[in-house]
Amino acid sequence: MLAELIVLPPFLAAALLAAGIVSGRIAGESSERATSRIALFAVTLSCLATFLAVALKLTSTLPDHIVLGRWLSSGTYRINLSFSFDALSLTMASLVAVLSVLVLRFSVNYMHRESGFHRFFLVLSLFVGAMLLLVTAGNAALTFVGWELAGVSSYLLIAYAYDRPVAAGNATRAFVTNRIGDAGFVLGIFLAFFWTGGIDWPTIMAGTAPLPEWQAGLLACAFLLAATAKSAQVPLAPWLARAIEGPTPSSAIFYGAVMVHAGVYLVLRLESVFDQAPVVMALMAASGLLTAIYGFVCGLTQTDVKSALIFATLGQVGLMFLEAGLGFWNLALWHLCAHAVFRGYQFLTAPSLMHQIVGSPARALPERLARQHGLYLASLQRFWLEELGDRLVVTPIRRLGGDLQAFDSRIIEKAFGEPTADDRDVTRASGLTGRLVWRLALALHWFEYRLVLGGLGQELLDAGRRLGVRLNTVEELLNRPRYLVVFILATLLTVF
Amino acid sequence: MSQDHAEWAEVPQDIRERLRAAVDHLDHVLPGQAPILNFVHHNTLHGYQHLRFTEALAAAEQMTGIHGYLPDEEFRALYARGRINDADLDASLDHQADRRADEILARIGERAISKREVWRIGLIHGVQAISSSRLNWQIEELNALGRFQGDVPEGARSAVLVAAQRTTPSASGERPAENRVVRELWDACLAVFDLNHLRLHPEELAELPLHQAEETLAGFEAGSADEGHSNPIAHRRMRAEAREELQTLLADVGAGLTLRGLLLALTGKDLLEEVRPIFIRFCASHLDEGLAAWHAPDRAEGLYAAWRRCAHSDFALALADLPNWRQRQAELPDHAVDAVIAGLRRLQIPEHRWEGYLKRLALELPGWSGLFNWRHHRPDYPANRESPIVLMDYLALRLFLDGLWIDRISRETWGIAGNLNDLQAYFQRNLSEFSARAALFANNLPEYLAAGAQKLIGQSWAERGHRENWRALADMIWTWTISSGTKWGPQRPERAGSKDGLRNHSPVAEKPGRHTVYRSAWRLFRLAQHLGLSGGDVRMLPTDVAERLLAALDELTAAERGYLWLWAYERHYREELFTALAQNHGRGRWARRDERPEAQIIFCMDDREESIRRHLEELNPAIETLGAAGFFGVAMNWRGLDDQGVTPLCPVVVTPSHEVREEPRPGQEGASARHDRRRRIKGLLGRLFNQESRRNLLTSGLLMGALAPGVLVALAGKVFFPRRQAALSRKTASALVPAVPTRLHLSAPPGSAEATPANPRLGFTDAEQADRVTGFLRNVGLTSGFAPLVVLSGHGSISQNNPHLAAYDCGACSGRHGGPNARAFAAMANRREIRALVAERGISIPNDTWFLGSEHNTCNEDILWFDLEDLPSAFNPALGRLRADLGRAVLLSAHERCRRFASAPPKPGLQQAMNHVVARSTDFSQARPELGHATNAAAVIGRRSVTQGAFFDRRVFLISYDPTQDPEGRILEGILLAVGPVGAGINLEYYFSTVNNERFGCGSKVPHNVTGLCAVMEGAMSDLRTGLPLQMIEIHEAMRLQVVVEATEAVLAGIYRRQPPLRELIGNGWLLLSAIHPETGAISVFEPARGFVPWSGGLGPLPVVERSTDWYDGHSEPRPPALIRQPLIREVRHAG
Repeated sequence: MLAELIVLPPFLAAALLAAGIVSGRIAGESSERATSRIALFAVTLSCLATFLAVALKLTSTLPDHIVLGRWLSSGTYRINLSFSFDALSLTMASLVAVLSVLVLRFSVNYMHRESGFHRFFLVLSLFVGAMLLLVTAGNAALTFVGWELAGVSSYLLIAYAYDRPVAAGNATRAFVTNRIGDAGFVLGIFLAFFWTGGIDWPTIMAGTAPLPEWQAGLLACAFLLAATAKSAQVPLAPWLARAIEGPTPSSAIFYGAVMVHAGVYLVLRLESVFDQAPVVMALMAASGLLTAIYGFVCGLTQTDVKSALIFATLGQVGLMFLEAGLGFWNLALWHLCAHAVFRGYQFLTAPSLMHQIVGSPARALPERLARQHGLYLASLQRFWLEELGDRLVVTPIRRLGGDLQAFDSRIIEKAFGEPTADDRDVTRASGLTGRLVWRLALALHWFEYRLVLGGLGQELLDAGRRLGVRLNTVEELLNRPRYLVVFILATLLTVF
Repeated sequence: MSQDHAEWAEVPQDIRERLRAAVDHLDHVLPGQAPILNFVHHNTLHGYQHLRFTEALAAAEQMTGIHGYLPDEEFRALYARGRINDADLDASLDHQADRRADEILARIGERAISKREVWRIGLIHGVQAISSSRLNWQIEELNALGRFQGDVPEGARSAVLVAAQRTTPSASGERPAENRVVRELWDACLAVFDLNHLRLHPEELAELPLHQAEETLAGFEAGSADEGHSNPIAHRRMRAEAREELQTLLADVGAGLTLRGLLLALTGKDLLEEVRPIFIRFCASHLDEGLAAWHAPDRAEGLYAAWRRCAHSDFALALADLPNWRQRQAELPDHAVDAVIAGLRRLQIPEHRWEGYLKRLALELPGWSGLFNWRHHRPDYPANRESPIVLMDYLALRLFLDGLWIDRISRETWGIAGNLNDLQAYFQRNLSEFSARAALFANNLPEYLAAGAQKLIGQSWAERGHRENWRALADMIWTWTISSGTKWGPQRPERAGSKDGLRNHSPVAEKPGRHTVYRSAWRLFRLAQHLGLSGGDVRMLPTDVAERLLAALDELTAAERGYLWLWAYERHYREELFTALAQNHGRGRWARRDERPEAQIIFCMDDREESIRRHLEELNPAIETLGAAGFFGVAMNWRGLDDQGVTPLCPVVVTPSHEVREEPRPGQEGASARHDRRRRIKGLLGRLFNQESRRNLLTSGLLMGALAPGVLVALAGKVFFPRRQAALSRKTASALVPAVPTRLHLSAPPGSAEATPANPRLGFTDAEQADRVTGFLRNVGLTSGFAPLVVLSGHGSISQNNPHLAAYDCGACSGRHGGPNARAFAAMANRREIRALVAERGISIPNDTWFLGSEHNTCNEDILWFDLEDLPSAFNPALGRLRADLGRAVLLSAHERCRRFASAPPKPGLQQAMNHVVARSTDFSQARPELGHATNAAAVIGRRSVTQGAFFDRRVFLISYDPTQDPEGRILEGILLAVGPVGAGINLEYYFSTVNNERFGCGSKVPHNVTGLCAVMEGAMSDLRTGLPLQMIEIHEAMRLQVVVEATEAVLAGIYRRQPPLRELIGNGWLLLSAIHPETGAISVFEPARGFVPWSGGLGPLPVVERSTDWYDGHSEPRPPALIRQPLIREVRHAG
């Protein structure tokens, strides 16, 4: 009951808002009050439920792990609907819930009269639900669901001003980088299935102990990759600096306060797995240290408030990884909480930072260091991480994609002809499921027809076209062979 | 910069000078916004101010593509809301169209259709061509052929029906049915132009007949586009047109395009996307005023030199596959101007186009260029000492980076060097490729053609090796263009604003000069309905008459329509304003001071002070209020107790020669030392929190761990209880750093060295003080009838989390608080010595008059009093009474402001309203702490009696001036010179930011990101955004300022003749001037071409209300003026 009460309200609020927006009942300035109340009420409810859980925990009437039911089962593999209520989860859940309430309340005035007001609250509710699910889920699969939803909402809010190409492009970049981490996460889940026999967190942790070191190491490594992408550690750091295109409150909660720490949470959650893999611990510490230095050095030359805060955040999150890598798990958790609150505050007050610091410029570097031209340039250009990534990964893959397409069109299509499309065949349906799908397709067609024709003509068409172009870009990125490779990898892993 | 590098000695000196002059001249086209901490309103089109308003807007649109009027749809919405009415529109047509409007276009029986009628219909209903699919939709979904158009008014509908009855009488004599009449009208419209409307499927309309397209495409794909397919005649004509198009496009390089624009039009690749991040990082680092801890090591040598020192190791360039960038970087000359010359030469831009090219280049990132330009022209700006700014540096860097990428794109795409000549030579040989590329990237090819073009481009085939494919494609595109009438134009990002509705969605057979269903018949159909013509009437029209009707619709350009609408909009407000002024004549108090007022308060002229003045006078008619530019004639460099440097407090055009300091009062040395000590600690904590927590790595981790719980509590307080949290934090701050009683150091000993702007001096001599006091009192006409208390009230605003804070402060004090000026003036005027000197100059201030300085906070309605310690005790009762009245007036002012806030409680109580405005001022999530100057529309220069007694809805700047004391107009001349530019600056900035907030303004505050303490970006990689944010202009009504002066026409005409700055503003129509006669109250409007024209309009008698609250309460929309009942002073005193 408690678990549902914590996790469900924001999702319900998001669903309600989505329904309202689609049906046209929530639109324009007059519905702002309704929208913000729905979102705030839901998140406040979650927050209160979290507090209740903490109270129960303190009176020791709450078990660490609750199984609500079975989600899937196949052979010996089971995925439970389970939730975790240990100290770590409850601490994180409280942090997420409290900061979310504050940021939502902040947004009510701040976003007033924005054309995307309702969309913003919808996505923010979705995000809060996702984060609460992420931190309270009792197994890796459920956490992954939250992980992905948080990623999607982050994508949607970076591209909040989707009519600006830079914003849309940066959103896509963030989204794509995060898919690398997802590959790690999925791999981790599969490895946990095979080697530990389950994916409930306690099972994984208990199951790791008897594993040989390389297996534990590989498992830890997979999850570390996921954490690295989500928390923007070197070398996957550049997306974070591009993510601050959205409205100030969303930057605050995503990249200052909450989501950027999700990777740290994952690492903390898997403490005992990492304990089995000292090499990976060392790797984590090293990457944390590297990120901390990267964030610090780049931060020194940042001239806009949000970028300055983002690199400061990177530095601190790097330190958290370092602390965890060195085995100071509790310190990392405390650091996480303190940093989330502090940075959240700084992001929310970012527009006025200028008035706070005018007349007291940032302390300059020691002269000897400040004269280093090369280092200055590296800091200004952020160690060229992004350009390197583009050069080493994106360009070759894009070329490969182009070649494959040329191969497709020049050889395969010529040899086999283009696929014929016969309308009647496509829409012939048999069986219950088939008919259902067919009905659904018809309903969607009707919906599209209504939306396009009933709704306001050219502008909508234009907007739709723009959206289409963006979606194409995403699709294009997702179609790249490396995702194919990941997909095949995943499939192979499930088969063997 | 004086010595030029030897290596470049062959560059003639005059070329350098020419380029430098050209760069200096960019000031005219770049945004002139100051660093945002010093935000001061100015005319967004300041560089065009020497032109007439309409011409300036046209020139700006030509240069930047931004339309300077509200869009037609907005005006139509205003018309629908009654903010513009038929009379306004008629007057506007009369005023601007002269005789043209009365031309008769057609006669149908008795009925004569004038051009004016057609224009009005075009303006109000927008009779536009329609696309084929929209026409289908109109017919199928809206039954357009069976029903009147939705916007046809009732009168016109019945006129059509009556006409139909007349022309085709039915047997029964009943009115014919609507559907038959409309159908008949449609048929008639088709018949007039001899057209047939085939109801085609949309897909058939949008493209070539499908089978034909597919056949052609098949031939093309097979790569066997033989001569049989490609019609040689068509091909020749295609080439001829492409050649012409190429010439036009290339000729535009340097005028309307840079090579980046050219490549964008031909490859769809925007090199700015890759150049911008690199470029912006260097620029931002160079402009930064204290946000970053680390700047370029050689910053003091300028951007270009500093960049050159480290760029040789920039991996970003190495990783971007740029052809021999390292060598080109190494070869760069020492001086930016030489680098610009080298860059332009490398791009092979003809020398006579260099100026144009640089201008276009600068305009590609107007925000960054503008800020560089601003600092370039102000070498004394403090930040320029550490990092000197030269606009040439910026252009040199940009040209160099552009050059690398232009080269790369050209080599990758065509294997040629990236310069204008090679591109020209290549495309002259490959016209098909040019034509196909240009058409593709103009983004309006139908899909089957676009796919073909993309395929060719995607396979990176240049025309050389695959001539047939390109040729076939180009011919197909040309055929489609001809048959569809669509004219593609190369894409111009800078001019994206000009979207001609027709060009983009024009359907089949849109040929100018030939009639089409969608353009001719449809428009006639709509026009006829509005004109009340039936099918029978239309059938009687000869084709050329019908054409004339349509031509009349096209006759007005977008700019002309915009100006017609704007003039009508302004007139609507003007009529209301003038009516109120005319009907208020003789009603207002204080035309003469027969009785001594209880108190006089001199506010800033600011439109936001209109409400508090009105309420105060309603509360106590014995109080006189006056208005003046809020620096009260005391231009000074101000140094407050805690300030490290001085701040100029005066209009931006003035550079002060005197400094005034705030000092602890004698005997407060101990308190002062404690204050300083504590303040240093507070500053340290602030720096720790705001700077060190970002800058450091390890220590900030510790700091956060220690402070986080407190921060969480503070954050929760700020979010949920902003008012209480702010009060608490204020209390804490004053307990931590106790205030010290202070006084001003404003006197200099007699015989001090002369003060000049270059050599400012601490304090004013007695003579200088007396001059200022006398001058100011004369300006506002306060030379006799002094009240016991004369209060000067400066103003300022506070808000949290608002980068544009300075835009809400006093414009007459360079965007700062005006309190210190009020305080300084009062301190001067209270000195015995000064009063004696002032008396010598002809103004005798009685001994029982005391001056007090104060400051009104326009956001939270707080009033701050200065130097009350010096007030003789005899004045205490008077001050007590005044403060009681003011206390109530601020409540009413808050109450009145709440009516325009969406989130304020509806019909709030007084205290409730006050709580709301205070909460707004302390709420850090509030993007609209107050509404600033939004809705400002007029300025009245004259005695308070002109305006007192009427409600002006906080829309009017009120400047006190007494024409009876100024027969020659000398005082008025000074006032106009000071007030004209300030008022125009505020008004025009609001105007332009409102008409196109995306391009002239800075868009929504929500994604803003403060950069380098000097401007805002959107996100982390955009251009700097200038102008006002969306949140400031939402309720503004974009119109030019009506300046009404209480003076005779002769005096005003004399001033106008004498003063070129006023001729520029008024003669060019940036300000609208009218005169109201001091004695008769007759109003006349100044028209630059004709001189003063008596105003004879006027609405009916205005309502008279007991109090202004009765008039506005419960209304959130703009409220027209009303008269307020004038109580007799005695009446109130008795009641009191």
